[in-house]
Amino acid sequence: MMRPAPWIALLAALLSWPAHAGLFDDAEARKEIMRIRDDHTARLDALESSSRASLQLANQIEAIKAEMAKLRGDVELMMHDMESVKKRQQDFYVDLDARLRTLETGGAGPAAQIDPAAESRDYENALNLLKAGKYAEAATAFDTFVTTYAGSSFLPSAHFWAGSAALQAKDIARATQHFNTVVNQWPQDARAPDALLGVANCQRAMGERRLEQNTLKAVISQYPDSAAAKSAKQRLGS
Amino acid sequence: MKLTDLFRYLLITLLAATALSARAQLSIEITGAGANRFPVAIAVMEGESQLPRGVTDVVRGDLERSGLFSLIEMGPKPVGETATPDFAYLRTRGADAIAVGTVVPAQSGKYELRMRLYDTRQEAQLDALTLTMTPAQYRITGHKIADIIYERITGLKGVFSTQIAYVVKSGKQYKLQIADSDGANPQTALASNEPIISPSWSPDGTRLAYVSFEAKKPVVYVHTLATGLRAVAANFKGSNSAPSWSPDGSRLAVVLTKDGLSQMYTVNPDGSGVTRLASSSSIDTEPAFSHDGQWIYFTSDRGGSPQIYRISTQGGRAERVTFDGSYNVTPRPSPDGQTMTYIARTANGFQIAIMDVATRQFAVLTDTGRDESPSFAPNSRMILYATEIGGRGVLAAVSSDGRIKQRLSVQAADVREPAWGPLPR
Amino acid sequence: MRYPLAASMLALALLAGCSSTPMTSDQGASVEDRTASSAGAIPTVRPDQMQGAGLAALRDPNNILSKRAIMFDYDSFTIRGEFMPLVEAHGRFLAANPQMKMLIQGSADERGSREYNLALGQKRSDAVKKSLMLLGAKEAQIESVSLGEEKPQCTERNEACYAENRRGEMLYAGEF
Repeated sequence: MMRPAPWIALLAALLSWPAHAGLFDDAEARKEIMRIRDDHTARLDALESSSRASLQLANQIEAIKAEMAKLRGDVELMMHDMESVKKRQQDFYVDLDARLRTLETGGAGPAAQIDPAAESRDYENALNLLKAGKYAEAATAFDTFVTTYAGSSFLPSAHFWAGSAALQAKDIARATQHFNTVVNQWPQDARAPDALLGVANCQRAMGERRLEQNTLKAVISQYPDSAAAKSAKQRLGS
Repeated sequence: MKLTDLFRYLLITLLAATALSARAQLSIEITGAGANRFPVAIAVMEGESQLPRGVTDVVRGDLERSGLFSLIEMGPKPVGETATPDFAYLRTRGADAIAVGTVVPAQSGKYELRMRLYDTRQEAQLDALTLTMTPAQYRITGHKIADIIYERITGLKGVFSTQIAYVVKSGKQYKLQIADSDGANPQTALASNEPIISPSWSPDGTRLAYVSFEAKKPVVYVHTLATGLRAVAANFKGSNSAPSWSPDGSRLAVVLTKDGLSQMYTVNPDGSGVTRLASSSSIDTEPAFSHDGQWIYFTSDRGGSPQIYRISTQGGRAERVTFDGSYNVTPRPSPDGQTMTYIARTANGFQIAIMDVATRQFAVLTDTGRDESPSFAPNSRMILYATEIGGRGVLAAVSSDGRIKQRLSVQAADVREPAWGPLPR
Repeated sequence: MRYPLAASMLALALLAGCSSTPMTSDQGASVEDRTASSAGAIPTVRPDQMQGAGLAALRDPNNILSKRAIMFDYDSFTIRGEFMPLVEAHGRFLAANPQMKMLIQGSADERGSREYNLALGQKRSDAVKKSLMLLGAKEAQIESVSLGEEKPQCTERNEACYAENRRGEMLYAGEF
């Protein structure tokens, strides 16, 4: 029996020739498309993840900069604190040294040891600070003066100016202390009326109106002829 | 021993004399502690009814508002310039000084005002002057007289005849206005629908630098007040802001972001000659020259929080100035070089603070909590600033010792960004 | 025989498909969700058609590009994670449309000094600008400026309002 198979096979082969060629192209194209697509996706992914990473990096840098600024601020504060501690320590030392020296040279009494030139210079310097409006410094200078020259005959004045300077520097407590020292220790001194008026000013600064009024009345009754009394009257009147 | 005694005696007398003279000079500030006002009488000026309004009222208002004077009531009877005041009577009234004056017609519709100031205790003339004025100038004339009285008595320059600049916001309108230091006579230099901030007077008082947002971004302009002509002082890519004049008026410190970040530069007022002042990797802003032009004070967040630093105009390292608190901004050195005012954030909010430049000691001066934009008066005695009362922006002033407080009456909806002008030339 | 034929048909379908519908990856899940960044749909704008269809994407409320505001934390200048997709979208848009220009306006809440707040607003607009440039935008395309506390979105005095005002706003040429 004649089998038609070879014919059919041949025909099929002939027919399928272009199909075969087409099949080959499809495969290639498909591969190529897949390759391009994958490549494209990969590139896009890479691009996106790299830009996202850059963004994250930029954010991190920003955070690190902020952290560094905070640290810098801490260093600035510590340096500042150290400077102030150093300065205070030096002040303590100078003060201690002065006290020790007074003790070591003691016996004759501090008044005998005073160098009049230094005394007048220190007093004047403090007064000049006050005149220049450097109140805090003036207060400190007068403070130092009253401790250094404990026997000085200018103590009432020095306390008075120390009080005035402290009041200007808004150190009310210190001002009150100085004014009271004048009033209590040298009630007959020419500065006493003004010092008592100073106490009233301190009370006013503290908002203690009632105390202030009492003190003003005390100025008038204790020193009726003083300029301070006149000023007190005016203030009570107004 | 005897010689030493004599020496000490001499020394005491000498020191007592110095102390006394010092007290006389400082009396208002020290023994009075600001609580005592200087009692002064201002007599009604003879012939001032020829003017549209009285000069006397202007003088009285100025002195009263300054917080340093108490006015002794003198009644409506005018006292002429040539009359000798009744010193004994004035003393019983408690007046330590008296001003008298006369207004007389002069040439071409002008008037001449002659005025004298007397010390009632010494019974001596302290000052005398003659001013020529047009009738419309009754206000400025009054301010000038108040300035002279203030200066004679306190030893400080009066600032009554200065001007102030500020921004008024009503609805969507912003107006840059100039007014007398008492808020009177306001004039609008610029009206805009976009914000205006940071006005800064040129040292000669003829020009104002400011930041306007009319270009949808901050641009620095220099505005000549007399002509209304403006020049762009800085309009670079990014933001341009915070103008501040050098004391000689030749340069303007500004903040630009053209090179990234807010950094300080100087420019000529016409916008040429841009020079970088300093370079940092943080915000540097709000530059302000010290009175001698040696330093530039500024705000920087280089330490993690906004703090005040200063840098020499010759260059070098920035030095930190404020250490207390986590927010200290807007440094403004005083014209006398002694102090600096700034805004500190405290437990009560944002408040005006003052610092002694030499000792770095500081004090908070106000009790409001939304204070902004402090500006020194040319005599360094008062600080003008913006704050908020009842939800509305207002201007206020406080003395540098915190004792005298004023609120400036400017009739407007919302006032902010004040700048106190220089002394008139 | 059936297999190649089927394969060729599939290839044809794929060829046709790639021109109309996006390809779906057959390599498993991608590392990130791209829908949020809208990387696939970058509209092209011609400068001469600024008012036309080009800006439609910028105005389409369904498009992420219509959103312009980036909010910042107190005292902070880093872009929060939730705003990353927005920044990415605008960065790509600027990169794909080099003729487009952008103005970024930074803002701060009202507390404190006006000038310092101006600097804070600038720091925020600069942060946005830097991010956009990392995403391919060119320096010349972007200007970052500050409005400080002068143009608040919200005028009440509470934390919610303050947060609303600590922002960076991205505006394209023609919008400001």
